[in-house]
Amino acid sequence: MSSDVKTTTVDSKPEVKSPPPKPAAKKTEEKPVELPAFEKSISDKIIEKFGDKVEVGFVKEDRIRINVGKEDVHNVAEFIRDGLNYDHVESVSGVDYPQDNEIEVVYHIGSYSDSSLARQILVLATRAQRETNPIPGNDATKLPTLRDVFYSVEFHEREVFEMLGVFFEGHPDNRRLLLPEDWADLPPLRKDFAIKGR
Amino acid sequence: MTNELPPGLALRKVDERIMTLNVGPQHPGSGHMRIIVQIDGDYIVACDPDPGYVHRGEEKMAEYRNYILNIPHLERPVIHDSCNVLYPYVLGVEELLGIEVPERAKYVRVIASELNRCIYIMYWLAIYGIFLGHSTMFMWPAGDRELLIDLMEKMTGARVTHAHFVPGGVRNDLPPNFEDVCLRHVNYFEKRIKEYAAVFYDNPILIARTRDTGVLSRQDAIRFGTTGSVLRASGVDYDLRKKEPYDVYDELDVHTNVMKEGDSYARSRIPWLDMLESCNIIRQALQKMPKSGSVRVKLKPNPKGKGFDTVYKRVESGRGSLGCYIVSDGKPEPYRVKLSVPSFRNLVALPNLLRGEKLGNMPSVYWSLNYWPVEADR
Amino acid sequence: MSAIAPNFKLSEFIKSLLDNIFWIILIVVLIGLPAIMMILFVIEMPVIDGELLTPFLALTWLADPSRILPVVKAFMATDIFRVMAFPGFGFAALLAAGTIFVERKMMAKLQLRVGPFYCGKVEGILQLMGDGLKLISKEIIIPAKADKPIFWAAPVLFVATAAAFVAFIPVAPGWVVADVELGLLGVFAVIGFFPIITILSAWSANSKFPFIGGIRALFQMVSFEIPLILSLLGVVMLTGSLNLSEIAASQSSFPWIVFLPVGAIVFFITMLAELERIPFDLPEAESEIVAGWLTELSGMMYGLVQLGTYLKLYAFAGLFVVLFLGGWNGPMVVPPFPAELLEKGIEMGPITAGPFPGLPLFTQEMLNGALWFVLKTVTVIFFIILPRGVFPRIRVDMLLNLGWTKLIGLAFVNIFIALGLLYAGVLGPGGLQ
Repeated sequence: MSSDVKTTTVDSKPEVKSPPPKPAAKKTEEKPVELPAFEKSISDKIIEKFGDKVEVGFVKEDRIRINVGKEDVHNVAEFIRDGLNYDHVESVSGVDYPQDNEIEVVYHIGSYSDSSLARQILVLATRAQRETNPIPGNDATKLPTLRDVFYSVEFHEREVFEMLGVFFEGHPDNRRLLLPEDWADLPPLRKDFAIKGR
Repeated sequence: MTNELPPGLALRKVDERIMTLNVGPQHPGSGHMRIIVQIDGDYIVACDPDPGYVHRGEEKMAEYRNYILNIPHLERPVIHDSCNVLYPYVLGVEELLGIEVPERAKYVRVIASELNRCIYIMYWLAIYGIFLGHSTMFMWPAGDRELLIDLMEKMTGARVTHAHFVPGGVRNDLPPNFEDVCLRHVNYFEKRIKEYAAVFYDNPILIARTRDTGVLSRQDAIRFGTTGSVLRASGVDYDLRKKEPYDVYDELDVHTNVMKEGDSYARSRIPWLDMLESCNIIRQALQKMPKSGSVRVKLKPNPKGKGFDTVYKRVESGRGSLGCYIVSDGKPEPYRVKLSVPSFRNLVALPNLLRGEKLGNMPSVYWSLNYWPVEADR
Repeated sequence: MSAIAPNFKLSEFIKSLLDNIFWIILIVVLIGLPAIMMILFVIEMPVIDGELLTPFLALTWLADPSRILPVVKAFMATDIFRVMAFPGFGFAALLAAGTIFVERKMMAKLQLRVGPFYCGKVEGILQLMGDGLKLISKEIIIPAKADKPIFWAAPVLFVATAAAFVAFIPVAPGWVVADVELGLLGVFAVIGFFPIITILSAWSANSKFPFIGGIRALFQMVSFEIPLILSLLGVVMLTGSLNLSEIAASQSSFPWIVFLPVGAIVFFITMLAELERIPFDLPEAESEIVAGWLTELSGMMYGLVQLGTYLKLYAFAGLFVVLFLGGWNGPMVVPPFPAELLEKGIEMGPITAGPFPGLPLFTQEMLNGALWFVLKTVTVIFFIILPRGVFPRIRVDMLLNLGWTKLIGLAFVNIFIALGLLYAGVLGPGGLQ
């Protein structure tokens, strides 16, 4: 797909989709019979601090998932760093959900300095609005950056920006990283970017 | 069309004194990546790593193949460390599908992954040697690596890309008499790598060159989220084999090598110590391994997850903690596979380490980050 | 023999030789001889000593030692022979070629490889020839923005300067191309040209990596020339002469390295730096600046620079031998020329060849001197090559620090040692010797 095709598609109106039913990711929290105690205590601290703004995705052994809206993700990340002793982000993954019209960005946060947290990974997920005809950097697909909280997200967020078109507001260096400089197609990890012949 | 250049093509106006050097991607001292270095005389004032020259879209490809077909291509990012780079994916798929792995297969995996770690580090060490202009240290590891490659060939049938780990165990059982051959090779290998100290690690010129260059403090190492040998060279005792043991690492005695200095020399010495440690682990595993038994759980032809599920698994690879995030939506193909690779994580430290260094230190600092360009690009 | 190596078969080797001989004879007989005869048919032959000069007669004279030996001797006395063949370019290039081969095989053994193996059937002895042919046949690429005349001239100048350096080295008593009274000063002057040529080549290429490499080479050579010159002053003081032949001759009883080991060590280290050998190969540090100032040179231009480098290597090793190891001096090991060859010739049963009146082309002293010189030079070259296997490259600041502080300090220590020996009357002009 060349850039010409893109400019024509930008002009056409984005079709309004009725939001499809929520996927299983946002299933309401059913309390499993027994939750690991240590992980439960961490998630309880977050719930206690932020209340309704956060939603606990799951609490498994060594893994806690927190779903946050994009307004609160910065505050929650700061609390995770300062209050819970997590100190680095291992991975930032973007996942495209066209049926929700949303793009999920997942931070896997770990800790080196606190040895009791060495096994733990805190999964912080947030969602950005998805545009059908993306103009990376200039559309509504935006999230606040976490680089000022966790320095280690710097290159990961750049990667998510080019691969999914999620612009991180406040990131100091929002340039291309892996893709060629003249890449003018859709962000490749979106679901509507199809590999040729597949 | 606007006249604006795409973001990466725009040239930045810089000072007259400052020279911009494109180190790579086709440069003997960069690997398959570009480092844009700005130098003032002999000092580096800014450095902008530009990976992506060998980006192959592994993550996108993984969304189009089912869980088993993904195995051969997901190990391609680091073919010298192919068992370890596949390990978190296999562990993740096992958790998604709810498979319990036989005991013997776990030991075989540990042996294969430790052998692979040594193979990778030998290759890395060879390049570190030639980056420092030490041609003997290029040839020796490249030759001694063959010992372990022969072992892996006996074990898996392939010399480099093994595709040996599958969800549910390993592909094949060990060949007969493998334990003895393995023990013999590993003992000789250990004796051989101990000799490297005399010609390389204790070499006064090497020490003078790499000591106190590219120092990464403990706080910075944590803040940048570095991992593996870079982290351990900065004094953080963190090894997933010890901290979050997967498979049978909790039954083995794993020693973590930590150095305090955080300079290039420490970062280059830690992998060498890791190889010695790997030899110990292999010997232990060979001793404790069940002598017979199944090595693989039969799977259904086209395995599916149970519905929407996510899993994040990580292992300690030759370069550091390697994570794999799999999102499944109940189809035979994964919805999303994300490899969180150590090379990419260590790359964040590079601009900070190179700033203010001399140009002559660039190869040693860059390669001491235990960086593998192909892995970072995926 | 390893599995990958081809099996050497003597029969195959002899067969290939015979093949070549057959083709040469065939071509000469079918094309060469008729062509000569046709030319002879046309031109008028001179009459010498009352005899018409036919090709047969000319060949007879060539085979007659009493006629050809004076011609050879006269030719050997000319300057052109000295420059081209024996103490000059040809001899040095031959030694340089041997050096390259030995270096490659030695490094290979050190690094557990086989090294050159295939070319030339026996241990890859013709590999260098193959490399040379490859370099000659390659295209020469000039960068678009290069300053072309200078860029073209630089490799030629480099070889010329290296050859000029070779010309100062006395190989045997009386056998030197340029027997200059101020020979050592001449050597310093010639060494001073190398950084200029390097920076000219680097700058004219108009490319970043050669530029950095050229600057590094300039730093390195200029900063090491000072300890180089200072370290040789001790020898000059003790000898009282700048003539290299006289310096070599003055060491007939003991080489100067016995009294001036510090100077010899300093000179050896500066020599490594001037030659850009590992651990001082910063101007060509490939992991930092590709190939340094050689990056843009291609084809035979690169080949010329390599030739110049190895000539320089030979010349520096020769200089070390002349100044510190006694030059050609050594115990007489060459047997005297058999006198009966002059009087009776060689008797082999019924056939008697000779006698050869003008035969000893070289004197016994000259052969002995050349033998010792070559032996010592090869040893020095061996020690120059050896660090390549065990040392990594050092950094430019360490290099400059070494050159400007430690080596200059040591060179002064050496000068004081020499002065002490001189004033104590132990050595020097009028001293012990």
